[in-house]
Amino acid sequence: MSVSAETDHPIPAASARQRRLFQFGMSAPGALATSILVLFALGIVLFLSFRTNDGSLLGGAFTLRNFLDTLSDPLYATIILRSLAIAGFVTFATVVTAYPVAYYLAFHAGKHRGLLLFIVTLPFWTSYLLRVFAWKVVLAYNGVLNSVLLTTGLTSEPILAFLNTPAAVVVTLAHAYAAFAILPIYVALENVPRSLIEAAEDLGARPVTIFRKIILPISMPGVMGAALVVFVPTVGDYVTPALVGGPSSTMIGSMIQAQFGKANDWPFGAALAVIVMLVILALVVGVRFADKHIGSRT
Amino acid sequence: MLGLRSTLRKAAGLASLVAAVATPAFAADKLTYFTWSGYELPAFNKSFLKAHPDGVETSVFSDDDEAFTKVKAGFHPDLAHPCYDKIARWNKEGLLQPIDTKRIKNWDTIFPVFKDLPDIQAGDGKVWMVPWDWGNTSILYRTDLVKDPEQSWGLLWDKKYAGRLATIDAVHDTPVVAALMAKVNPFDMSPADLEKVAAVLREQRPLLRAYTTDMTSVEQSLASGELVAAMTWNASATALKKQGVKVEFMKPKEGMLTWACGFVMLKDAKNIDLAYDFINSRLEGESGKELITQYGYGSASKAAFDLVPKEEIDRLQLPADPNVVLKSTVFTGPMKQNDELAKMFEKIKAGG
Repeated sequence: MSVSAETDHPIPAASARQRRLFQFGMSAPGALATSILVLFALGIVLFLSFRTNDGSLLGGAFTLRNFLDTLSDPLYATIILRSLAIAGFVTFATVVTAYPVAYYLAFHAGKHRGLLLFIVTLPFWTSYLLRVFAWKVVLAYNGVLNSVLLTTGLTSEPILAFLNTPAAVVVTLAHAYAAFAILPIYVALENVPRSLIEAAEDLGARPVTIFRKIILPISMPGVMGAALVVFVPTVGDYVTPALVGGPSSTMIGSMIQAQFGKANDWPFGAALAVIVMLVILALVVGVRFADKHIGSRT
Repeated sequence: MLGLRSTLRKAAGLASLVAAVATPAFAADKLTYFTWSGYELPAFNKSFLKAHPDGVETSVFSDDDEAFTKVKAGFHPDLAHPCYDKIARWNKEGLLQPIDTKRIKNWDTIFPVFKDLPDIQAGDGKVWMVPWDWGNTSILYRTDLVKDPEQSWGLLWDKKYAGRLATIDAVHDTPVVAALMAKVNPFDMSPADLEKVAAVLREQRPLLRAYTTDMTSVEQSLASGELVAAMTWNASATALKKQGVKVEFMKPKEGMLTWACGFVMLKDAKNIDLAYDFINSRLEGESGKELITQYGYGSASKAAFDLVPKEEIDRLQLPADPNVVLKSTVFTGPMKQNDELAKMFEKIKAGG
């Protein structure tokens, strides 16, 4: 990345060769990992999605049927939309709750900042499944939340609607991805030039105005980054809906997983995966475009 | 395109070579056993562990269709533990090797009804599966929350209990029962029959709290009263009764489901002698006794039943002779349309 800046200086020939060798050596592991783990894997998925399912590992002849089946059955559109909606709610909830935390960290945490950042990442020290089960304990029929409501007399009967509902999926995922949202927003807020805030204060701007006109616009790239980091993986999540979701929150990830598992139709699962990737890609491109043209970057 | 295909094959071959080089390091002298979760208890193979301390490496599955895809995709344990209805499918895929009954010491103590199952015969005194356990699938319901229900699978379709019911997320359970409700043959369906089953399943979906194979959750939900009735196996009934929860394992008029499972040896099993030792250990009466008393499942071995007091067997609602059960239940055999059903079931679960 910094090559162009460096090459302005005259360098002896041997050292240039060494430098190229060094750079090759440094980027080889990354390039290898990318091409094997990402590109090759994606290639196989793409390849499989155009095959017929004859029970063999790589499928039978080439076909477009997997895609036609998916597109002609409204069920898959429904499930994809449902996944996008759930992921959208998760993203919104995560970003809205993460922003104040990041704001506090960046502007008010003072000498406790290190400790607080550490606490934010603490849940990641336990397995994701443990965190999901912790939510099950909270949301269950005889769980913490219902017990509180019962003993305080707010309800006379335990509420069934907490667990095994799409709402439970949103809550669990929002909690799981909290740190992924807090960190990029925090970094963006950290980079807000304090001089701008001071100047605004000197000119008599109220705190709300300063936030609206200076802090929020400058931290927007962090918010967008956080939203992407949360949205993209949650669309395809299948563990959470399986554990806390119930039948009405089946997401596209569960459907894809089922094709590779129980339903034993890998090509169809691959086609579903390709379609979801395209949908997400389109969304991301759309958001970037919108951000560039009507976004609030200064 | 042939070029791409052969490249992929080579790559797959390379990947399996890497895997082959990497695995023996920890699995060379250990038996690898792939089984239902809950079936890995050391009490089931005490004598094997005495002879080979720490000699078995277990991985578990919660559904044998999942297990099938995993094995098909390149996971190669020495022994696996699918159920009878899947044997033909595993065999067709060429995953199994025959097991020599001459090397199974207690082969003769296995009830003839299981020894004679058609799909396990490999000819010449050999079998594809050594039966080990059998049990029932039925409705487990709270007797205090569901007062005197009609003894019928219809309870899982009763709108009165909407949102308080759960069913098992496996092709050989829920769709089979749906077929019984639709009055079609679960094991061989015409496309019209499949449509009838789909309609019955669609009718059930809005009433359900969960499709699941996580029986611990189901037991907890039944105990808390979140669920009033759920499709389960015997083990859940045994567990909840032990805890003093007021539950009953129903005898539906359409028939409980009865299934049998057992050991299969994978084609490229590396530890064949260990595998035979393991099967022999599991077929000892003591082992089967543990299965009966801990889970309430039936052992395939008569010797095991002989070790359990009659009162205990009565309490567990097990007959001393599986033939008695099979007269009134539906035996889960191979399902000709397994794949079609699985796909359809997945769609319906998702709301289609």
